[in-house]
Parts: sequence; C-alpha cells; structure tokens
Amino acid sequence: MVHALDEIRRVLVTDGILIDLRPLENQWRVEVFSARETRQTGAMADLPAGLEDDHAANQAMAEGERNGWFFREKEELLSIHYIWDTASEMEEWIDAEWEGFVGLGEETRRATRSTWALGDADSRVRVEVKVLITRWKKL
Amino acid sequence: MTFQKDPELNETKQLQHFTDFTGKRVLEIGCGEGRLTWRYAAKPAITIAIDPDRRDALRVATIDRPSDMEEKVYFSNALAEHLPFPNESFDLVLLAWSF
Repeated sequence: MVHALDEIRRVLVTDGILIDLRPLENQWRVEVFSARETRQTGAMADLPAGLEDDHAANQAMAEGERNGWFFREKEELLSIHYIWDTASEMEEWIDAEWEGFVGLGEETRRATRSTWALGDADSRVRVEVKVLITRWKKL
Repeated sequence: MTFQKDPELNETKQLQHFTDFTGKRVLEIGCGEGRLTWRYAAKPAITIAIDPDRRDALRVATIDRPSDMEEKVYFSNALAEHLPFPNESFDLVLLAWSF
C-alpha cells in the first residue's frame, strides 16, 4: 500500500489532491425498515481480515504523512445504505460479496428473517455501512 | 434480486463536497464497473479509471459509457502499485474503496 501511495504521489501534480474513500468496519447496523418504522435486528460482525485491511490502510496513510508526501486537509465519516427487498437476498449477497471481511452472525440472521417476515408489506432490509472520506494534498 | 447501494447518494454528495472536479485531470483507482465514476465524470476535463479487473468489470464499465463521454472517460486494466502514467499527469486521484 505504501508503494501504491508513492506511485500516486508520482503521478499527481504539486498541490494535487488525493481523495481516499473507503469502508471502515464498525459493527454496521442491520435494520428492517418500512415507510412506517425502522427496527434494528443486529449488527455485522467485524472479522480479522477486514480489520487488518483497515489497519494496513491507516498505517500506509500515516506513513505517507510522516514521509512528508501528503498533508491531511479534511476527514469525515459518512453512512451509506445497502438495501435488499428480502432478508434472504441480503444473506445471499453478503455471504457472496463480503465473505471473510464482515460476517452475519446467526442471531442477526434469525432476528432479521423473523422481523422482515412479520413486518409491514413494504418492509425491506438494509445495512448501514460506514465510509471514511479523507482529502489529502500532495506536498 | 433487487439490490440498491447508497440510494440516498450520500457518498456522491460528500465526494462533491470534498473536492471540485471541474476541469481537472482525474485518475480513479479501483473503479470496478464505474458505479462511482458516472457520478462525477461529467465535470473533469478527462477521467482515467483503472481497476485490476478481476471480474471483467471494465468491460461492463465501457459498455455503460455514455456516447458523449467517449472522449473524456477511459477505462484501463492497471494496478495502483504500477501506474502506467508519466510523472505529474493528474490534478486529482480518487482512491475508490481501494485501500
């Protein structure tokens, strides 16, 4: 990752801007929602591989800062939703796409299925993903 | 399966709030199928979006490219560790869910 940062520095003009946009594991909320109500049914489990990725990325950016390559100008944490029509669609997607990085525990699966099945006709399922956005200036 | 990612466009709004893309030479790293690319690509002078392309994503991104962006948005198979571009060739680099 540090090598990639060095490459980015090379292709950027002086005072050029690097925007780093990435998900940050933080026990993302799992919810069943409808027009009438929202109910949290559990949280995603942070797994070692995902946490290690976050740590490695943070370390690489910190090293870029220490090396005097970039200056951190601005940073914010935002939330974005991943939404599925049904609980089973959510499980299938997460098991395929996020395998090894974040997990869906049995208790959260059961609670989500049950809450969705007994919920309003327009109930859907969502995960609130935390995303870190940072603006860096090349020095 | 119906699946939506960020229907509220929070990510796009925050991205536009963090930087002005207008007239810039932009390199996007980790573009995948271009989901994020199309949310800002009208503004820069030129956008080059790269991805290791392990899932044939760049073919999809190129198919989805609007005809009025053929001269200003390009997709390429490349790694962040070996960027095939000259020194100081971009004003802005966007790391899109890459680290």
